[in-house]
Amino acid sequence: MVELDHSFSTGKPTDYNWQAILDLDRLIPCVQGGKIVERTSPTAAKAEIKVKMGAMSMTFAGTVEVVEQDDAAHRAIVKIKSREVGGQGFANADVAFALTDGGGDIHTAAQITGKAASMGEGVVVSVLDGLIKDFTQRLGQI
Amino acid sequence: MAIPPGRYTLGPADGTLTVRTGKAGAAAKAGHNLVIEVTRWEASLQVGEGGGSVALTADARSLAVRSGSGGMGSLGDEEKASIAQSIDDDVLKGGTIAFRSSAVDEAPGGLRVQGDLDLLGTTRPVAFDLDAGDGGRLTGSIRFKQSDWGIKPFSALFGTLKVADEVEVGVDAKLPVE
Repeated sequence: MVELDHSFSTGKPTDYNWQAILDLDRLIPCVQGGKIVERTSPTAAKAEIKVKMGAMSMTFAGTVEVVEQDDAAHRAIVKIKSREVGGQGFANADVAFALTDGGGDIHTAAQITGKAASMGEGVVVSVLDGLIKDFTQRLGQI
Repeated sequence: MAIPPGRYTLGPADGTLTVRTGKAGAAAKAGHNLVIEVTRWEASLQVGEGGGSVALTADARSLAVRSGSGGMGSLGDEEKASIAQSIDDDVLKGGTIAFRSSAVDEAPGGLRVQGDLDLLGTTRPVAFDLDAGDGGRLTGSIRFKQSDWGIKPFSALFGTLKVADEVEVGVDAKLPVE
């Protein structure tokens, strides 16, 4: 299990940010290489992410769901469950959002197996950290 | 072995111009060391009593990946084509590649060449040896940092996998019989 903490800033009111992160149609494309395959409910979607590793790429496909939502405290947990397309690995994560004025904090707990994990935990942490930092920058423009 | 005096024109039919790249970053083990061939280039070499000259131009859109080693999985034709596309779109962008000598001196086994290398509009001095072997074989190479020419080394995986800044460019050719 890899756990990472990040912050993001949008410069927009909390209510706006709250609506934005709960809107999977806006949230999922903020992940580089991520896209919605199908909306299955107001709080869930089938999605996939293509991660380019130089010349090669890996695609993970699965579900993204808002599993906890505290409207008063502006806290939510988004659960991601995915499998590597054409491979044996999987990538699961619980992403906890806690909004503050003008932005928020993200706590990510991820479990990654298969080819991606075979590069070692240090590499997985670096790549995940890079992915989430990129995500927080896109969140700033959501 | 000394190079016989004369004027020579060289191109892909006479040898290979090769770029070798390494890898860097936290996820370096996922990437490949690449051997990339420049498939369209032209060089001229003049050797005479009073010195000589060397010039080379290459087509920045003619780089083809020949092999990759040390990465995750093997590079197939699709991956090689993808890398060539990235070189065209993100790195060289069809820019200028040109070398012109400012001094060519005889050296043990060949020539010592100094001159200016123009990469994508930035010109800097470089120096290298051209070694003359049996049967008119001519070899030489230089190592330089892409960033010294203002080129940002290609990166992927959110910056954790990069092409190493230093690259090696080598020529291995056979002097055509005039």
